[in-house]
Amino acid sequence: MSAETVDRGTSAPSSSINPESVGAVAKKDFQDAVRSWLFWGLSVFFFTLLVATTGAVAYFGEDLAAQGATTDVLVGFVSEITRLIIPLIALVLGWKAIAGERESGSIKILLSLPHSRKDVLLGKLIGRSAVLSLSLTLGFALAAVVVAVLMGGFDVADYVGLLGVSIVYGIAYTSIAVALSSLTRSTTIAGAAMFGVFVLFYVVWNSLSTAFRLLADREVLFFDTVSYTTEFQGQEVTVERLPEWAYFVINLDPGEAYGRVLTLVTDVDTIQLQSELDAQMFGGELPFFLQDWFALLILVFWTVVPVAVALYRFDRVDL
Amino acid sequence: MPAITVDGLTKSYGQTLALDDLSFEVGDGEVFGFLGPNGAGKSTTINVLLDFVRPTAGRVEVLGLDAQTHSREIRARTGVLPEGYRTYDRLTARQHLEFAIDSKGVDADPERLLERVGIADAIDKKAGGYSKGMAQRLMLAMALVGEPDLLILDEPSTGLDPNGAREMREIVREENERGATVFFSSHIMEQVESVCDRVGILRDGEMVAVDSVAGLRESVSDGTVLRVTVDRLDDEAIRSVRSLPDVSEATVENEAPPTLVIRVDGSKTDVLSALERQGLEVRDFSTSEASLDDVFRSYTTEVNAR
Repeated sequence: MSAETVDRGTSAPSSSINPESVGAVAKKDFQDAVRSWLFWGLSVFFFTLLVATTGAVAYFGEDLAAQGATTDVLVGFVSEITRLIIPLIALVLGWKAIAGERESGSIKILLSLPHSRKDVLLGKLIGRSAVLSLSLTLGFALAAVVVAVLMGGFDVADYVGLLGVSIVYGIAYTSIAVALSSLTRSTTIAGAAMFGVFVLFYVVWNSLSTAFRLLADREVLFFDTVSYTTEFQGQEVTVERLPEWAYFVINLDPGEAYGRVLTLVTDVDTIQLQSELDAQMFGGELPFFLQDWFALLILVFWTVVPVAVALYRFDRVDL
Repeated sequence: MPAITVDGLTKSYGQTLALDDLSFEVGDGEVFGFLGPNGAGKSTTINVLLDFVRPTAGRVEVLGLDAQTHSREIRARTGVLPEGYRTYDRLTARQHLEFAIDSKGVDADPERLLERVGIADAIDKKAGGYSKGMAQRLMLAMALVGEPDLLILDEPSTGLDPNGAREMREIVREENERGATVFFSSHIMEQVESVCDRVGILRDGEMVAVDSVAGLRESVSDGTVLRVTVDRLDDEAIRSVRSLPDVSEATVENEAPPTLVIRVDGSKTDVLSALERQGLEVRDFSTSEASLDDVFRSYTTEVNAR
């Protein structure tokens, strides 16, 4: 081919990633999604959530205010709710990202233009993540005003920390949703997959802790408990705990990771975790994979791995 | 160098064979009409050209580049009006075009493009409110972005009224004069005959004829089309009519009433008596000069006698 016919980036192999292409797809997807009622519904929802929680804290927690712990309580409450709600919203936002376009045929518009399928997938992930992040940010920012008035000032660092970690958490779930959406041409199947993810992390994973303990009590297979000593009311007592790998598995849940990263970023101690970990349980120091910084890696894992699988697979199918 | 080379292309979906060893070429600068009834495999072929689906066997080159490994480069130089698409309801025509312009990395004026396809007044309206014809015009405008070397138009007249279809053909002509190769599919003969240099007729995943419009006309110009209504259809009878030296084509046009279309150069009486010899009763017959439509029908109608 003569040089003059080669446009920017277009001489690259068809399955390559072109940042400008990704950008164009992301921009279009964002423009499209930002005009949907879903986006505005989400922003209003986050705003209401924060204001309602603040109202409740301000109303019932006057003594807390006196102790200056109100932001702690607010972040604690809100994170309990966002931990459950953000995945739902990300799954709903990402559900049709690719499957919907394949089902309706609009993906033919995208792929008639010089985009690789990888560009489309990444553009979609970025576009949808941007929509989720913007609606979170809008909701949090508007609510900040109300929160400040009701509580008479608050800890900006904790509040921004909550927002930031919530965005990272939301992107992880968006990646799961967009990746699953790319595996099928049917929005019905994609919807079922979203429901499957919901059940996996809300029901299955949340009961793992209990299930492991039950299995361990009956000494099934390799579910041996480990004994350790701790001080309880001034006395040395011996307590049983699950093996380390069990805690690792429990902590793979993005929701659990969200909680741990929040405790890392904010100094709020009211956040409840599925598996309370104590250095004493492990003879003084937590294994690295149970430390809070590792939870950030778990969120990164849930962002990168689903989309990586989808990038590989989506390149190889008939539309 | 041909603009499109399809060589031994086969595509099967499970047990279903969509394309069977299809081969053809489209020359540089040519307007090629890709004709065939619905379900013949036209869209599948176009989907392979654009790398939407992967061939089971065979080789496809577009603009001298492998359709699979160089798809991005091909699509950078190609304007596509796909079939079975859906516009983005919440985006305006301007946003659609800006997306195409961004995507191709070219400089173009959305307003000018929409003027060409005749919907400039709807530039800032959301595509969700467009009629099928307006959506089709918008897609044509998107295909024209960046003066592509090749235009691939899949059933471009879908949703257009006769006037719109004429304007579309006018644009095809203008683009061709600019130097673009145009490849467009249709299931209606009359849409392709006025603009196409050559026509390929696809049936059941196989190319049954490729010729210039004049050539196709030539092949039947001295023939007469004989329409015979009989009392019943019979495979044996059709076969015996086909074996007559002057008969070039014999197909079933209709099953109720059973009607045969027979292209014949010589004696019509021979045909009628051949039918009667096979025990069929001739109830009615008429003759006419062969039109391109008859050619198309004769190539694309399955003989389906009981």
